[in-house]
Amino acid sequence: MQKTPSATHSPGAPVPIPFFDQAASFQDHWEGIRKHLDDVLDNGKFSHGAKVAELEDRLADWTGARHVVAVNSGTDALILLLRAAGLEPGDEVIVPAHSFIATASSVVLAGGIPVFADIEEHGHGLDPRAADAAVTARTRMIMPVHLFDRMADLRGLGAVARRHGLTVVEDSAEAIGMRMDGVHAGLHGAGGVLSFFPAKTLGGIGDGGAVLTGDESVAETVRMLCHHGRGGRTLDNFPGISNPTVVPGRNSKMDDVQAAVLQAKLTTLDADIGRRAELAERYDARLRGVPGVRDVPGSLPPRRGSNRVSYVHLLQVEDRDALAAHLAAQGIETEIYYPIPLHLQPCFAHLGHRPGDFPHAEAACAAALAVPLYPDLPDEHVDRVCDELERFYTGRPR
Amino acid sequence: MTAPSITTIPFFSPELFERDRDVLLGIVHAVGTGRDQKFILGERTARLERALAARIGAGDAVACSSGTSALTLILAAMDVGPGDEVVVPAFGCAPLAATVIDAGARPVFADIDPVRLTADPAAAESLITPRTRVLMPAHMFSVMADMPAFRELADRRGVRLIEDSALAQGGTLRGRPAGRWGDAGLYSFVQVKTFGMPGEGGVVITDDDRLAADVRMLRNHGQDGVRRFVHHRIGHNSRFDEVMAAFQLHRLAGLEDRLARRAEISAYYSRRFAPLAERGLIAPPEGGDGRFHYVYTVLTDHRDALDAHLAAHGVTAHVYYPRPLPAQPAFAPYAQPGGTWPNAESAARRTISLPLYPNLTDAQVEHIADTVCAFTDVHGGTR
Repeated sequence: MQKTPSATHSPGAPVPIPFFDQAASFQDHWEGIRKHLDDVLDNGKFSHGAKVAELEDRLADWTGARHVVAVNSGTDALILLLRAAGLEPGDEVIVPAHSFIATASSVVLAGGIPVFADIEEHGHGLDPRAADAAVTARTRMIMPVHLFDRMADLRGLGAVARRHGLTVVEDSAEAIGMRMDGVHAGLHGAGGVLSFFPAKTLGGIGDGGAVLTGDESVAETVRMLCHHGRGGRTLDNFPGISNPTVVPGRNSKMDDVQAAVLQAKLTTLDADIGRRAELAERYDARLRGVPGVRDVPGSLPPRRGSNRVSYVHLLQVEDRDALAAHLAAQGIETEIYYPIPLHLQPCFAHLGHRPGDFPHAEAACAAALAVPLYPDLPDEHVDRVCDELERFYTGRPR
Repeated sequence: MTAPSITTIPFFSPELFERDRDVLLGIVHAVGTGRDQKFILGERTARLERALAARIGAGDAVACSSGTSALTLILAAMDVGPGDEVVVPAFGCAPLAATVIDAGARPVFADIDPVRLTADPAAAESLITPRTRVLMPAHMFSVMADMPAFRELADRRGVRLIEDSALAQGGTLRGRPAGRWGDAGLYSFVQVKTFGMPGEGGVVITDDDRLAADVRMLRNHGQDGVRRFVHHRIGHNSRFDEVMAAFQLHRLAGLEDRLARRAEISAYYSRRFAPLAERGLIAPPEGGDGRFHYVYTVLTDHRDALDAHLAAHGVTAHVYYPRPLPAQPAFAPYAQPGGTWPNAESAARRTISLPLYPNLTDAQVEHIADTVCAFTDVHGGTR
């Protein structure tokens, strides 16, 4: 369903098209959000409280996860999951060279060492052959990432993990709604995560995240770690702050205000994913074959047994920076996911990688441009983005 | 004694923000539907940081996801890591040790002063080795640590000083606000704190521009705030939500009044309890320099009996830190072998905290004081 855009603009200028906007749907959800917020205020515990517990149950229902632990960000979810899944100081974790920084920084923050491997030529997933070649005697885990709109090759990567006795931990921060063989992303190995960063497919009104797992001991450890390592019941239980500290933990508690917003938004998640698919198809139908557009997301079918959920609509384009500047001049915001692959980020300079080490990751970064895609985006804004994109390459709209 | 005509008084008030219910709802709606669609580390957060820094005359204030995370960011900004030692109190909250371990360093536990219940500077000095990078005293309950002594010690021995002022917002010592004695300090805003809010959050306080810049970078994945997705350092996700920033900006105006109400209740307790010292119940003194009124804690050998007595009379008390940090299963492996912390162990056996929050009524406060006094009529004289 289309929604009316909320933005106003100065007369004469083109209507700005933000990269992300959920104001209209937030308004549509307001009655539900207000009801949940009233519950939070009535309850009086504002983090790690009853509304967070309720959200965990709703998410378990929606994803089919046996255990969901809601936390304060996708990044902390990864750190806690890695630790709970048994990462020991000095252990190596194989991660794709192309991802958001948290894929690799979480490994460092959990005490491990990220080892980069290249992605597949198409589809942004960790390449099983490259992962296999990166295994050493110190490798403990392998972390596939489900980026943008599709899952990584879990079959191929699972085979690598089995061959070498590695634990699979999924960075499924972007992957809510993605399933393979009927099993939700994050539940194919020791566990996975969700991010509820506002622009995510299920987004809050601030930072938030969750750990998903089918393993009770992983869930129990994450529960302790997110509340300062305290044992016993702390969720929705204030006096639990004086429970014995069993392991050195962190403060990764989720705010109940976030849980309130997320619960309201969860009621339309299926419809929101459907709207995202409509918009993705609309983009691809217009942009396929436009000179300068090397690839559209829909040209690659979803992996066998899995579905596609369009969180980010990432094009591969020529002359990317000039195109982004042209679109910005027309009031159209875009994002580059990601301008630098992980192995060339300044914070990993000590690992000694050089350009050319992971050609597919480097090529993907050089040509990547994400265009606006979110349920509140009207069809005509998609058309305008496409018009401007085409004008940039051909000098005229089709 | 007749049953009190008063419903149970909780230790953790569920109504801290009742008067601001509509304000919070309004802020969530405004941020959710706002034209800028900015939810994290936006203009509201920047305004809150400026207001907090100005309030205490600090060079900078950097908002982050919690008080715990503030400690983690400060330690990271100081490059504390493997091989380093950090001297922390043997009595206090888990993050004092956990953040040090998380940084890859080793916590070294110093016994506490038996009256202040904060780290003893002499004990801390005796633990300094060539590996010591940081001293990390913490203010406790309602009493600031001996910061002049720690400042002098840190300067003399050439180590850094982190002032864990997570719970001490509003306190001053020799005219210097809590959080401004260390190279860096911090406040926690978790709901029960003196400037608590309906969510998790904290702030780093420092006059050191470079440290502040490093903390800003480290709180947001090592980005410099100019170019997205370029990560200069291994950073955290420790950001501040705009909803909470707007709420704190709204609540800042009432902070002095709430601090004054806390101080008033605390002073009343201390006046009522001063005579109980000879009966074995030790309460903090009324007022004095270096005080703040976060948690009101008394010491008694009959702690569990007092807890039960209070509960029987409709008052919920709470025992913070029933064991010293080196005795927690998580931290015992890091404790100095053979170390003893007699004052910390004594405090862990004897502390019990009474309700203290601005929305307590006078009648509730009197009932709590009466109940404690009545207890010593029965259990007094056995000190």
